[in-house]
Amino acid sequence: MSNGIPLPEALARYRPDAELGPLPEPGDIDTLLNTYHPDHLRDSVVKLTVGANAGDPCQRELADLLQAEAFIDEADLAGTPVADVDVLVIGGGGAGCAAALAAAENGARVLLATKLRLGDSNTVMAEGGIQAAIEPDDSVQRHIQDTLRGGHHAANPALVSAMTGDGPEVLRWLIDQGMQFEQTSSGDLHTRRAGGMSTARLVHCRDYTGLEMMRVLREAVIQHRSIEVCEQSPAVELLSNEVGQKCVGAVLTSMLDGRLRIVRTRSVILATGGLGRLHLNGFPTSNHLGATGDGLVLAYRIGARLCDLDSFQYHPTGLLHPSHLAGKLVTEGVRAAGALLVNGLGNRFIDELQPRDVVCAAILRECGEGRGIRIDEQRVGVWLDTPRLEQAQPGMLEKQFPNLMARTHVAGVDPRREPLLVHPTLHYQNGGAVIDVNGATTVPGLYAVGEVAGGIHGRNRIMGNALLEIISFGRRAGAAATANRDRGPKKVTLEHVNRLRRALTLAGLPMTQRTPRVLPAYAAGGAWNR
Amino acid sequence: MEPLIVETPPVGASQVLLHAERRVGADMERWRSAGGGAAVARAMQDPAAIREEVRLAELRGLGGSGFPAWRKWEAVAAEAPKPGKYLIVNGNEDEPGTFKDRLLLEETPFQVIEGAVVTALAVGANRVMFYINPDLTRSLAAMKAALKQWHSSEFPVQTSAALGMPLELVLLPGSGHYIGGEETASLEWVEGRFPFPRGKPPYPAQSGVHGCPTLINNVETLANVPHIAVQGAAWFRALGKAPGTGTKLYSLSGDVLYPGVFELPMGTPLRELIFTHGGGLLSGKPPKAVFTGGPSSTLLTAADLDVAMDFDSLRARGANLGTGAMIVISEGTGIVKRVAEYERFFAHSSCGQCNSCKVGTATMSRLLDRIDTGRGTAADLTTLENLCAMLPGSGRCHLINGAVQLLDSAFHHFHDEFKQALR
Repeated sequence: MSNGIPLPEALARYRPDAELGPLPEPGDIDTLLNTYHPDHLRDSVVKLTVGANAGDPCQRELADLLQAEAFIDEADLAGTPVADVDVLVIGGGGAGCAAALAAAENGARVLLATKLRLGDSNTVMAEGGIQAAIEPDDSVQRHIQDTLRGGHHAANPALVSAMTGDGPEVLRWLIDQGMQFEQTSSGDLHTRRAGGMSTARLVHCRDYTGLEMMRVLREAVIQHRSIEVCEQSPAVELLSNEVGQKCVGAVLTSMLDGRLRIVRTRSVILATGGLGRLHLNGFPTSNHLGATGDGLVLAYRIGARLCDLDSFQYHPTGLLHPSHLAGKLVTEGVRAAGALLVNGLGNRFIDELQPRDVVCAAILRECGEGRGIRIDEQRVGVWLDTPRLEQAQPGMLEKQFPNLMARTHVAGVDPRREPLLVHPTLHYQNGGAVIDVNGATTVPGLYAVGEVAGGIHGRNRIMGNALLEIISFGRRAGAAATANRDRGPKKVTLEHVNRLRRALTLAGLPMTQRTPRVLPAYAAGGAWNR
Repeated sequence: MEPLIVETPPVGASQVLLHAERRVGADMERWRSAGGGAAVARAMQDPAAIREEVRLAELRGLGGSGFPAWRKWEAVAAEAPKPGKYLIVNGNEDEPGTFKDRLLLEETPFQVIEGAVVTALAVGANRVMFYINPDLTRSLAAMKAALKQWHSSEFPVQTSAALGMPLELVLLPGSGHYIGGEETASLEWVEGRFPFPRGKPPYPAQSGVHGCPTLINNVETLANVPHIAVQGAAWFRALGKAPGTGTKLYSLSGDVLYPGVFELPMGTPLRELIFTHGGGLLSGKPPKAVFTGGPSSTLLTAADLDVAMDFDSLRARGANLGTGAMIVISEGTGIVKRVAEYERFFAHSSCGQCNSCKVGTATMSRLLDRIDTGRGTAADLTTLENLCAMLPGSGRCHLINGAVQLLDSAFHHFHDEFKQALR
């Protein structure tokens, strides 16, 4: 990607009030995706050889994690303290909190374990908003159609229908919890239309909707007397029954002193989020530090089926400059509000409100074909034309996107005067554990909600469905996990680990790497890469 | 308890009981075309000769005791019917790590039936009870189908005529209790009561079910009988590696690459079972310990890899072949946790009629759980050691002895590991 127009030259050429040429003919979407979307990069996808998804395509970096040695041995568990709870929630983001609250509301004793701190998650980074069909001209049916179309009809319709149907109720629940939303002058919820939507459906709180959501969820969880929160305690392995076919608990470790702790439970809810920090194909990421795909690894090792492991979402507009903000998201809300994408020649090249994968592929095409703006040998991007937006609606950036303004202000960039240089950033894992409408995976006793679950978004997620999904399925799984009235586990074992070891040996795969990763290598200083 | 592993093993060396020709399931035609029924014919001609062959073959009780089969047979044969005699085919298999009988029942039901009928003719028993663990649904289904075919064949009439009284074959699902596999406990269940073990004597050979002389043999033991009857004692003895005779079904499980049932010459070294047939240990780790014969026995360690796995060689080492189950654990697998789990199994399995066993196993299990979960103290360890000295021999049956033996040998070999887990 060394070609492109040098930054000074592009800056000199840029005029916020210049007349833009007409949008070029869109061309064939499938060809665009197949040629430029990172999912289709040559050599980035391999076939899994062991486990429940043997034979399925999977991103190379993820496959290495799924087909690896376990983090702990059984001997490490000797003398390990045991805690008994009804429901264990692994993950302290929005989905984990929603699941914990639902389980606790249904009378369960809940332990919520989180790798970093409660709320350290991608939920707080969700800026744009949450979708729910609440407008008079909207309907759940349209929401379903938009979601399915956006996901290239690869999503599970039952899951989509469950989620979209929950939409209005989810908003009501969130408002009850104390969450603030943007309102119109008449007091209705303010909605926006964003990429892939057929109508305005995006409810939001400025450009920090996820942060606001996490604020109320976090407070509710901390205050609930049936929920114990265990911070800095990543789960390193699930526990199975004596035949390795049912999930009956998990092993937590402590980030502080490395001690292990066994949690025995009737149900485990995985809400561990995605894997942006694996930097698939070398892309920067918008994800938080803990997004290392731990949940997928744990679920796969105990035998859960996963889906769409070769499908990831690259958000079209991640900041490229300044470099310490690389990968930081510029919310799709900016494009929803009218900001345009412009290449180094000063031309538009794609309808900005196409689904994310299409816009992403179009940006990569511009960069690849020499029409991008080049900072240095590695970094090429396109303009997000914020000054033009400011010109059209003075003051709107300040009012609607305070988060973006604050971040860029600190970095010495003023989006009102200069356009933002953007490039796609690894944003979301479309696939994940196969679940049913209650969030139950294919392994009894194991539930998956949030980004770690799959099948809801097909091969591309449209904006605002992630925040809806975490609450909708989080609450469903919390309730279902509590309804699981099995008597507690008799025996907790690592039998499933042996099953995978056996398969790995037979397949001739090396067992040098121990997973889950827990932290990206550059953050852990090697401490977590045993 | 469910088997740890139910995969089919790769085909091993000398296979008599599990020979591919014999694994025909409940299909009488195929069983006959593979030579089935010849042993019954021999037994009808000369029952006493069968007993003699079995004695010369040195067939042992393969359900765990290793007691010479012919002694029990002679004892029962010498008794007069009062008014009948019973043969109990013990298929209550329930020990962790043992999964051989279910395979015989499921895949070679006619071999088991033939063995039982030949034995019944040899000792003069007129009622044969196939006493099978009710959780083994596939084994029960296969036996049910096989018995149905048996009853509609000419065998019942012929064998009854040879015996001089009706020879009845009855399929009897057990109680589902581990203790139900104990000899005298099975008598209670057959009589319709909870399977509490009885005190001995009187031995079942004198006074068993309803006071009748009763012979109780394991499924695997009986499955060997037709082959001894047809091919003779010399052939059978040559199958084993001296001093062992015949073959043995070893149930291999734990941290090995190919867990499964292997039919190997009696007396095969442990190393050969693990590395040649079991494919070695997972991840290439060194072996750490082997629970032999299921848990009601002692531990073998890496130093014992070359021991021949027959009853006498293992007994000389202070260990026990038991059912032939070998649960192999590698470095990286904790002894404390495994032992705690087995003691929990014993505590759960104790029938509770002997106080020392009921309280003893529960206490051992509780203390081990405490140690395993990091709450144990040095005093707990001392208590366990004292219990190991006090408890053996205090129960009617061997359950308490097995529970203590396991813990005692774990202490002996891995004392440090228990100490490390203390608070």
